[in-house]
Amino acid sequence: MIDLALFADTAFFWGAFVFMVACSIAGIGAIRLALKGEAVTSLMGVSALTTVAGVSLYLIQIIFDVEFARDTAIALLVLGAVGTIVFARLFRMEGGQ
Amino acid sequence: MIAEIFVIMYAIVVMGFVAWNIRKGAFVIDPSKLVPILIFILLVFVLFLRYTGLNLGVAVATLMKIGAAGILFAGTIPMISAAVGLFRFGDEFSPNIFYVRNHITGVIDTVASLVMIFAGLLIYRLDLVAVGFFFFVLIPFCGNALANAYYYNYQRRLGK
Repeated sequence: MIDLALFADTAFFWGAFVFMVACSIAGIGAIRLALKGEAVTSLMGVSALTTVAGVSLYLIQIIFDVEFARDTAIALLVLGAVGTIVFARLFRMEGGQ
Repeated sequence: MIAEIFVIMYAIVVMGFVAWNIRKGAFVIDPSKLVPILIFILLVFVLFLRYTGLNLGVAVATLMKIGAAGILFAGTIPMISAAVGLFRFGDEFSPNIFYVRNHITGVIDTVASLVMIFAGLLIYRLDLVAVGFFFFVLIPFCGNALANAYYYNYQRRLGK
């Protein structure tokens, strides 16, 4: 009979690992978006990149117990979203006014 | 080794179910029925584990962790689909493609925040839930601000 606690730990570890790989693939797409196109498209790509990087760092903190990764993840997620809104408002104004 | 084999089977079932939903374009089982069914299965398993002599708290925490793993596996398929969508349009940069890409990045943000909220709830990590919820609230404002900025820039370019 399978040990249920071992199964739960293994399933959570591999679930987080597979999700981080999926986030990395999305991050590559976001980098590509950020390096091509115009300013607003780049801002969109950077916003998506901060999201996937933040979630991946949070999962790293959970499964590997790396404490500083959580602080970095919170900073990335919160400041990434707020910064995107602020810079989008700046891009909207003509001549940066 | 046995645990890894069961994990692979579990991942295939969960990811296959999510892919089936995406392929169909609608819910295969309505969430108003699926969620009570899952809660019922959880209660049956908890009672079974309690009957076998396991501590109640340990049984609930173990099954919640398996559920959190299922949510992480389920979030993988939309995330990869969104990544394929980001690569799909190549070097096209017309207004419609911008709005499509805005939608795709919104999908990435939404999947990430929902995974954080529900996985955090299931493993009793309220900091993860709080950050995920805060981020979930900010997503529509981000998407709207980006679309607004692009729209006014585009109108300005047309006017010149």
